[in-house]
Amino acid sequence: MMKVVTGVVGNDIHVVANRLIDISLQERGFEVFNLGVNTYLEEFIDAVIETDAKVLLISSLNGEAEGWCRDLSLLKSQYELEGVVFMIGGNLSVGEDNPDVIIPKFKRYGFDLVFHQSDLGIGLDTLEAYLKEHV
Amino acid sequence: MKQLYIDIGSTYFKVCEAGNIEQHFRNFERNIFDDLRSKCGETIARYAPEAIQICSSANGGLSTLIIGRTYTFSLKYATNIAYNSGINIIDSVLYSKIEQHTPPLGMIDVVIIAGGIDDSANSYDMRLIDYLKKVRYHNIVYAGSAAAAEFMTTHIENVRVMQNIISDKLQLRDEALKNYLTHLYQEDIMGKEEIKSLYALTANHIYPTPYIVNQAMQRIPEYFPVVDPFILVDIGGATTDIHYSRDLIMDNLVSENPYDRLVFKKLGVYKSRENLVFTARNNEYVYELLAYLGVTENILDEKSDKATRILMQLSIFLVLYKVSLHHNRYVNLYLEKLNSIVLTGGITKVLSLEECEQIVGFFYKKLLHFHQIPTIIMDSDYMIWTMSMKESSHVG
Ligand code: B12
Repeated sequence: MMKVVTGVVGNDIHVVANRLIDISLQERGFEVFNLGVNTYLEEFIDAVIETDAKVLLISSLNGEAEGWCRDLSLLKSQYELEGVVFMIGGNLSVGEDNPDVIIPKFKRYGFDLVFHQSDLGIGLDTLEAYLKEHV
Repeated sequence: MKQLYIDIGSTYFKVCEAGNIEQHFRNFERNIFDDLRSKCGETIARYAPEAIQICSSANGGLSTLIIGRTYTFSLKYATNIAYNSGINIIDSVLYSKIEQHTPPLGMIDVVIIAGGIDDSANSYDMRLIDYLKKVRYHNIVYAGSAAAAEFMTTHIENVRVMQNIISDKLQLRDEALKNYLTHLYQEDIMGKEEIKSLYALTANHIYPTPYIVNQAMQRIPEYFPVVDPFILVDIGGATTDIHYSRDLIMDNLVSENPYDRLVFKKLGVYKSRENLVFTARNNEYVYELLAYLGVTENILDEKSDKATRILMQLSIFLVLYKVSLHHNRYVNLYLEKLNSIVLTGGITKVLSLEECEQIVGFFYKKLLHFHQIPTIIMDSDYMIWTMSMKESSHVG
């Protein structure tokens, strides 16, 4: 089974999407390590290392994702994380609504797949297609 | 059967007979066994080995080197288990930085290697083996991913493989390692001849004192007017131990133990006095604090009684400082939530309640901007230790 680490980043307590993501991933045959709400980026990376997960799926709902995820490429450079797919989704910003601005920004931070205010089903379909192609 | 309880500390012995406690400063010219016999020989002779319970924190406890893959899981979990087993950590190494890490100079009692859930293949390689060649140790255990157990037994002589401390759900699993570490104390392989000789006096296991105290934390509210969450601070001659309610922390570590232990190796007022002074001098609040206590910096160089009292107050302050937010990588306590502080150990014989309240007051007002401070309880008669010994002798 492919392992996925998931959770909600930063000081973010919106838990409903997190539960849905956990269930949906399991239904799709993934082994899920759910770190829950209020999780720091370092904790996500550490969980990926300890579980040897192939996917890190982060949610952020309260609009603070940018501040919490900016350091992803720095962390990626400090650990051996080749082959891990980094994915983020939810409400990725507060003021800015334009996906054409938001998505490239998060890709620059080091995410492979970015979804701003988009449907979870579509996001997970995209993930599976991406995994087929890359792994 | 009437029991005799003996505690061997780094600075003094305590002997408790029928509720009465005698305390003796240790004579470092002699070995522990002879020293104890010369001071309490008559008392000891009145008890059968089955009725004598000994615990010890002499020699600063066991020294450990922990090698793990991440701060959040393997290092944190192993550190938690080690502290709760009564060990005073020496060093920990994050595996991704192992090549930059300078191995400890002294002999290590036990090296602990952890990391990964059982089926995680992302594991250790020859960098570990090369590093271990530079470390001197008595014992080595592997408590990580089952997938790497064979690699360990192939490359590391005498490695003891045990249950992974990280469960398949990424949670803490502490039984096997905790058991092993608390028993290391009792095994001859330790090589601490001094402690070994004490087995001539007792037919029971000799446990590390902090382990005994940690086990009894849940019962403290029955004996003292404390309100959870609380911390117990034991400032001794060489180390300072803190046992705290898990309600005071917010982290990923899920454990069944309601109280955890943390130790600061070098904040004692006798054996590690120099280090305490050094740490104090480097603290950003020290001058303000000394002024608040009505003394000048020169006091730190004095050897008077007054100087010892001030140092004891400083060590209370430094302990609170070190466990409060952002000063400690391993754990941060939300001291804002704290209801009671129980003080035990040598300082309760020296400092008055007012002096303790004075220093805690400074910390809460200055650093946390609180006007009220937690209730302070002084365990001046070593009730906690006596109770812990009683508890453990029932179980053991
Ligand atoms: C319920 C709720 C709360 C509850 C949360 C209770 C709880 N423990 O979960 C409470 C009242 C506590 C709360 C607090 C706050 N909230 Co609120 N909250 C909501 C609300 C009304 C519903 C959220 C919800 O559960 N939706 C149901 C789930 C299933 O949907 P979802 O969260 O949107 O997730 C879906 C998708 O986003 C997507 N998804 C999520 N993650 C990912 C990841 C990937 C990879 C993919 C592909 C998809 C995906 O899939 C999910 C299922 O379709 C929303 C508004 C709304 N209608 O969405 C605001 C909302 C999320 N909150 C908001 C804010 C600002 C806050 C507060 C900061 C308010 C404040 N000033 O105090 C605090 C934040 C507290 C904190 N530290 O996090 C804003 C966020 C603004 C933004 N980012 O643009 C929202 C959007 C309201 C708004 N329009 O302003 N909130």
